[in-house]
Amino acid sequence: MTQFAGISIDKIGRGAAEVPTESVQGNSMSAAPAGVPQQETAAAAAVSVKRVSKVFGDVHAVREASFDLPKGRFLTILGPSGSGKTTLLRMIAGFDAPTAGDIYIGGQPVKAVPPHKRAIGMVFQKLALFPHMTAAENVAFPLKMRRHDARTIPQKVERYLELVRLGGYGKRRINELSGGQQQRVAIARALVFEPDLLLLDEPLAALDRKLREEMQLEFRRIQKELGVTTINVTHDQREALVVSDEIVVMDGGEIQQMAQPVHTYRTPANAFVANFIGVTNFLEGPVVETSDEAIVLSVGGMRVNGAAGGTARVPSQGELAAGALRAEQIRIAPTVQGFSGLGNVVNGEVRDAIFEGERIVYEVGVPELGGAVLRVFDHDAESHQQFGPGDSVALGWNAKDMYIFKK
Amino acid sequence: MTGSLSKSIVIWTFVAASLVMLSAPTIVVLGASFTAGNMITFPPEGLSLKWYAAISQASGLRQAFFRSLYVATICTLIAIPVGTLAGIALAKYRVRFGRTIQVYLLLPFTIPLIGSGIGMMLAFGNAGLAGQLWPLGVACAVINLPFMIWAVTASASNLSPDLELAAANCGAPPLQRFLYITLPAVMPGVITGSLLMFILALNEFLVSLLLVDARNVTLPVQIYNSIRSIITPDLAAISVVFIACAAIAIAVLDRLVGLDVFLKSK
Repeated sequence: MTQFAGISIDKIGRGAAEVPTESVQGNSMSAAPAGVPQQETAAAAAVSVKRVSKVFGDVHAVREASFDLPKGRFLTILGPSGSGKTTLLRMIAGFDAPTAGDIYIGGQPVKAVPPHKRAIGMVFQKLALFPHMTAAENVAFPLKMRRHDARTIPQKVERYLELVRLGGYGKRRINELSGGQQQRVAIARALVFEPDLLLLDEPLAALDRKLREEMQLEFRRIQKELGVTTINVTHDQREALVVSDEIVVMDGGEIQQMAQPVHTYRTPANAFVANFIGVTNFLEGPVVETSDEAIVLSVGGMRVNGAAGGTARVPSQGELAAGALRAEQIRIAPTVQGFSGLGNVVNGEVRDAIFEGERIVYEVGVPELGGAVLRVFDHDAESHQQFGPGDSVALGWNAKDMYIFKK
Repeated sequence: MTGSLSKSIVIWTFVAASLVMLSAPTIVVLGASFTAGNMITFPPEGLSLKWYAAISQASGLRQAFFRSLYVATICTLIAIPVGTLAGIALAKYRVRFGRTIQVYLLLPFTIPLIGSGIGMMLAFGNAGLAGQLWPLGVACAVINLPFMIWAVTASASNLSPDLELAAANCGAPPLQRFLYITLPAVMPGVITGSLLMFILALNEFLVSLLLVDARNVTLPVQIYNSIRSIITPDLAAISVVFIACAAIAIAVLDRLVGLDVFLKSK
């Protein structure tokens, strides 16, 4: 088990181990020395999930999930549908009880605390605004239920409507507001009573792309402004990278990796994470050579140089392994000239060229690699020669950019 | 072109015929009530409001009308809590024997009214309640309860389960969640259902006839009794008042929640 900067997880990826201590905000949790009891980390964390499992019938929705989230941080739980991310969030909110394990909020176990007694604000996937109330009544509802002084409620409501840039919209009924405005009301309602923790259950999933990206930045801004500890659930990898301080990647009910976005992207813990985030090519073959620095795979008879991926165990010689290679790490040129410094150079033929505006995506068939088709981004189309289907091209990439994971 | 023309002729003929058949009784009664003569006739002989003046003097009819209002009020007061809670439960929770309960609720429709009426007459008679007015309200509530439940269920099944979770997340304990969130959300159904219950109980004839004794009759029974002796235009006038009450209730309903809520219910 690795413990570092308040983040301790069982299935730790290489990324988390590389978290720079100075980037962790807040209290005295910098680089806890090895051997510090688990309890202390849990007490300091705003949210602490300890070996939590949830079983529905014979389905293991969440399996032994553990993480600690320091106060004031923005965590995103990222995963495909059915990965258990929403179940985990519902357990934190108190809507479902864990089958096993414990959840601590502000250092206190919450097993026996019903949802209405937890100081948690939540924005629901379908917003769940109260349709028979105005925007202001929706925002005032948590204050009334939590028995805030009635004289201060209108001011607080107005202040939070202004925070989400809906000043003056209080008297509107919910169905008189646009999708984005309803979103903002839901955020104001979740935050108005100054909760210890904010939960976001894919509230942006239903929005169109432009509005979604605007709201992602809005979440980021509000979270920074208030400093509220936030857990966001999404299947949108871009959103996770944009908004989060930390990303937990989940699949099949298990946590695959917890790390800062840049580490999740650059040093994925395993093949699943590498595949789920970014556009990734996989080259499979047996390991033919391993050393401290490099692992060599045989792909379609060709030697391919890579580096050990995030898994704890480096695949040994003779074992079947997969090399993960991001589309943007591959260079493309008419000939191999100029590729001399690269660890891997192959020749291929362009199958398809897809113009996406800011970049061109090439699909290149490589006979040397057993006919594998690699996806390659060319971001700077201007200065490069453009290729069309049938053109012969050379591809090259650094050995350190290709992570080898055991199959 | 000719195809669509002949199609529209057929459709419009149908619509016109339906409208005439549906509204004819009302129009006949309405016309007859304004007659200046002493017999119920249609078209009326001259125009006059004298039969309306007559019914305002006729204490028998007036008292029967108030008895009907009383029965309808009791019926509605019983149906609102029972029907609302049952409707929400059937729509939102997986109630044990939920299907069976729903089929059971259809029974009052499938059993002829005369059958259930006689059953109730015996039951109330054994309990020593025969001839009183309030048991009739209870009986109407029992017989017509499916309307109330259906109206509430239609509203409640549109209700997102997230709403109650959101209310819990806002700090509302279970009772507050019900009062502030669930109940207002199903209110259109409750209003629709209770107005329907009111109208149905106001109009109830057969069960009234069986349960109530001759000195204590409701308006429909009173009118029926009068027809058996001499048919005078004051009966048409009181019928119009009766129809007007129902029409006002429907108008109120449409104004408050919109008729589509009920039309959409199963």
